[in-house]
Amino acid sequence: MLIKQLSIFIPNKKGSLSQLTDILTAHNIDIRAIAVFDTAEFGILRIVVDDPDRAVEILNKEGVVAKVSKVIAVEPEDKPGSLNQIFDILKNVDINIEYIYSFIMRKKEMPYIVLKVDQQEKAVEELTANGINVINKEEIYAK
Amino acid sequence: MFDGKIWSREETLDRDEFERIQLERLKETVERVYQCVPHYKKKLTEAGIEPGDIRSLSDLSRIPFTVKDDFRENYPFGLFSVPQKEVVRLHASSGTTGKPTVVGYTKKDMDTWSELIARLVTMAGVTDEDTAQISFGYGLFTGAFGLHQGLERVGASVIPMSSGNTEKQIMIMKDFGTTALISTPSYALHMAEVAGEMGIDPKKELKLKWGLFGGEGSTEGMRKEINERWGLFATENYGMSELIGPGVSGECLAMKGMHISEDHFLPEIIDPNTGEVLGEGEVGELVITTITKEALPILRYRTKDITSLHYERCECGRTTVRMSKIQGRSDDMLILGGVNVFPSQIEDVLLRINGIGPHYQIKVFKKGYLDKIEVDVELVDADLLDSFALLENLNGKIRHQLRTVLGIEAKVNLVEPRSLARFEGKAKRVIDMREGK
Repeated sequence: MLIKQLSIFIPNKKGSLSQLTDILTAHNIDIRAIAVFDTAEFGILRIVVDDPDRAVEILNKEGVVAKVSKVIAVEPEDKPGSLNQIFDILKNVDINIEYIYSFIMRKKEMPYIVLKVDQQEKAVEELTANGINVINKEEIYAK
Repeated sequence: MFDGKIWSREETLDRDEFERIQLERLKETVERVYQCVPHYKKKLTEAGIEPGDIRSLSDLSRIPFTVKDDFRENYPFGLFSVPQKEVVRLHASSGTTGKPTVVGYTKKDMDTWSELIARLVTMAGVTDEDTAQISFGYGLFTGAFGLHQGLERVGASVIPMSSGNTEKQIMIMKDFGTTALISTPSYALHMAEVAGEMGIDPKKELKLKWGLFGGEGSTEGMRKEINERWGLFATENYGMSELIGPGVSGECLAMKGMHISEDHFLPEIIDPNTGEVLGEGEVGELVITTITKEALPILRYRTKDITSLHYERCECGRTTVRMSKIQGRSDDMLILGGVNVFPSQIEDVLLRINGIGPHYQIKVFKKGYLDKIEVDVELVDADLLDSFALLENLNGKIRHQLRTVLGIEAKVNLVEPRSLARFEGKAKRVIDMREGK
């Protein structure tokens, strides 16, 4: 039930994001979710794309430090407290969330939420058992 | 003006008396290393020289040079000419491939060293009336201990303050009534700035009279600023651990160059490219032969420092040869906050760390009066992108290695691959933005 994301090293300077999106655009890679986590000197860009394996190959060929890793995508219900519910489930089984970001485009109403936690498989089990809709990869990559 | 004492009669010998002593001691030194140090026996034999061949001072030019690499190849004690039990002190400076350059002293060497420092501090104005604060780092480096013992010999009250903790330095200076400051010139300027921030006017509230600066070069601009800010009289001194530490030469109050203690060190100036010996007043690389050391006598050591020699009698009354202010280096050595570092050493540290590429760039600049170093390295290991903690760990590991192996504090920037300049031929990996560079 885990989906693939790309982690990309970006220097903290003007134009480094567009340089990356230029490469992805040129190869017709579609970005589904995006987040930048930064420090004073550099950042890590995390994206979910329609073809992660091809994307990382292209980026590596262009000299970009990028790797594929697994994360969880969940679909919270559209009501107050639904994120709270997800976090509670994980807290109760002692799972630590490392970072979280959300999708930028979707056909349905609520955005998916991307979660990276320290015990991914266990988190998926717990979330599913508690009635949270964990998204499988077909749903993510399909156009 | 020059009512200051001259510490030792040997500083005022006639030229022919110097030459007589030098020849006698050179012969003894060559004999000693030929018999006791396999490295020198081999080198002298290869050059077709036996100790008996040294008949005049001009024969010195036939002896092969000693270079820093010889210390590395003979690490740690291979160049020592006495058994370990006669060594009473060891010091070390940063060396290549993580191994420091090790130097040793016998009891007599310690006595010589104190004597040399006593001369140096006396010519810089210090007497037994003074309270001397040593703000060099105590430890393996020769600077602090070297000055310490010589200052005690002249009878000054010595405060072994060490470097760092600047506010406390100022407090001690004020409370103990420090009259002589011993540090690097850049640290002296930094301290003056901190004193200002503490609301202390060094000229009015402190009693400093003398500043003895060494460990790194300085400009006349820096000297002027030090004098004005502290209200003291600054002199410069010179030395290196391979030769003995501080004490090779120092300025007198006439400030017409640094007097070399010629009864202990035999100086030459050479063309750094051809090795040819140059004449009086000509600018070239300083080469020094130690002629009284027991534990670690060194023949024709290439200091890589560019200067010239001047033999006429000084206004201060001393007859010892003077070397002019160091004009630069004949190699790419950097002096960072008093610590000697070669770019190749930084490269060596970086190459041993996984996750980064072989290319790097070093930027050196002044922040206030202190040397700041930034090292850019290319991140190549994508696995570290899983979390910031991994990247921070890598960064911390590089900083830690630079600190423990080379003794420098550097800021490390991780940059993307292929973003640093590539060079064909000789790489220019160091950007030195400090004044006078």
